[in-house]
Amino acid sequence: MHPAPSIILFTILSGFGFGVIAWVGFLQYFSLISSLEVIAFSILGGFLAVIGLISSTFHLANKINAIKSFSQWRSSWLSREAVASIVSLLLVFINLIIVYFGKNTVPLIGIIASLFSIVTVFTTSMIYAQLRSVPSWNTLLTPFIFILAALVGAAILLRPDYALYGLAVLLVIQFLFWLYRDQTEKNMKTNISTALGFTEESSIRSFDKAHTNQNYLLNEMVYKIGRKHSRRLRYLSVLFSIFIPVSIMLLVRFDTYVVGAIVSVIHLLGMYFSRWLFFAEARHAVSFYYDRS
Amino acid sequence: MTNLPKCENKKLGLLIDLDICVGCHACVVSCKEWNSSGDTKQLSDINAHQKEPIGTFLNHVHSFEKENKENNESEPFYFPKSCLHCEDAPCVTVCPTGASYKRPEDGIVLVNEEDCMGCGLCAWACPYGARELDLLSGVMKKCTLCVDRIDNHDLPEEDRVPACVKSCPTGARSFGDFNDPNSKVSKIAKEREGVDLMPEMKTKPVNKYLLPRIKSNFDKEFNEEENSDLNVSGFLSWVDKALDKL
Ligand code: SF4
Ligand code: SF4
Ligand code: SF4
Repeated sequence: MHPAPSIILFTILSGFGFGVIAWVGFLQYFSLISSLEVIAFSILGGFLAVIGLISSTFHLANKINAIKSFSQWRSSWLSREAVASIVSLLLVFINLIIVYFGKNTVPLIGIIASLFSIVTVFTTSMIYAQLRSVPSWNTLLTPFIFILAALVGAAILLRPDYALYGLAVLLVIQFLFWLYRDQTEKNMKTNISTALGFTEESSIRSFDKAHTNQNYLLNEMVYKIGRKHSRRLRYLSVLFSIFIPVSIMLLVRFDTYVVGAIVSVIHLLGMYFSRWLFFAEARHAVSFYYDRS
Repeated sequence: MTNLPKCENKKLGLLIDLDICVGCHACVVSCKEWNSSGDTKQLSDINAHQKEPIGTFLNHVHSFEKENKENNESEPFYFPKSCLHCEDAPCVTVCPTGASYKRPEDGIVLVNEEDCMGCGLCAWACPYGARELDLLSGVMKKCTLCVDRIDNHDLPEEDRVPACVKSCPTGARSFGDFNDPNSKVSKIAKEREGVDLMPEMKTKPVNKYLLPRIKSNFDKEFNEEENSDLNVSGFLSWVDKALDKL
């Protein structure tokens, strides 16, 4: 699949933002952070989530109808995501006002906002996980890794002591995801024979594609570069998203948020590689109609 | 609403015969022509007469070759592909705006361009690559089964079929109701074992394909005929033998 920067940025930034919101509500509920911190981090989380959502509209070819995407929540994960993100942001805003006016005694809204933000990340991941046409996404590992990445990323900033364990789990899940991807790719039920309706596997190749030049289908769904650099990018991704953050955490003491912020940025850079691969390596069923091998 | 309706009355679709398609692209051209004129918005082309043209099509013809295991020769065949109007259409349920829908009365899958926001998710959800985002108008395009022909009572009866069906010079595409066991398409599909594309995707396509039959072993038969004794008698038989001796 084509790794559009607007979509990668959207999934990473809004994931991180909603992760921050999730942590704030939780820590606030157990009185583990001050009101000032609640306010500051709610604004940061909300801001990043909004930036992510705005960047996701960049790839809409007909933005004028974006408002209609709130209507089909009964069937569409993309619509559910739109609704869930607005609800979470509203809850964060209400919580912010309550805390600002010194009523931190009822942190219930905060924890509801926190739950809703996790739901939002879940709906984002289901947009991809629901697609049978892209078998390597069509697994529960997809929502799992999206939610985990959001929570762990935000923990680096807010609770580095938890983040250390989180990063270890993320490393395992990330490798599981790649393993799953490689396996599904190898044992795909779909191949050029099923694509053309043959019941037994036959040796078939395309000797002329249906159009002389690129088209929307090829640009969007038949992306080849991802597989070529896969190994190297996988290493780079875990280096930045996991090993460098862990090393810094073990060497430096986190007594200010500045260190946390710097490490979060390094982590997100690594996550960018990981998300890029998530798209670029995923094989869409339509690619079989262009199979020349 | 993007929930899928039960289509119990009619299931309109195409029956495509890969055995007789000659890959002439007449259906591609007539589809583009019909859907770029009249009421519908243009199916846009960018750089149409320059380097690297890119355009929107609702129907494509791919070319494949299949190995004949008996003589190791390759047999070419042509494969036209447009929307299969799936019963369990994943492209419809993913649509966030409600622009994509399946008509309850006959199962045709359509896009209401007034509502589409051009997110492209439906094109991702379709395993067959049957949807293309129009790069100029910014909305999703797909085969409409030519609703503006088949429903159009201003056209004479014989023209109320899809443009691609009408234009195919070999009759490789037929249009009809697959829900009616007595329709022509249902009968032929049954008799010649029409197949689904990518049944593992569980989309339950309405369109059916008739696979290319194994070609007769032309070379072998030809050689055998050449080398067999001629079935002649009398004077010709004497000539045949005399020539063999030379
Ligand atoms: S062929 Fe593709 S676009 Fe057409 S109904 Fe099936 S899934 Fe949807
Ligand atoms: S591109 Fe249009 S029709 Fe397709 S899912 Fe998006 S809004 Fe719906
Ligand atoms: S039915 Fe109409 S829109 Fe569909 S492929 Fe044929 S000509 Fe094109």
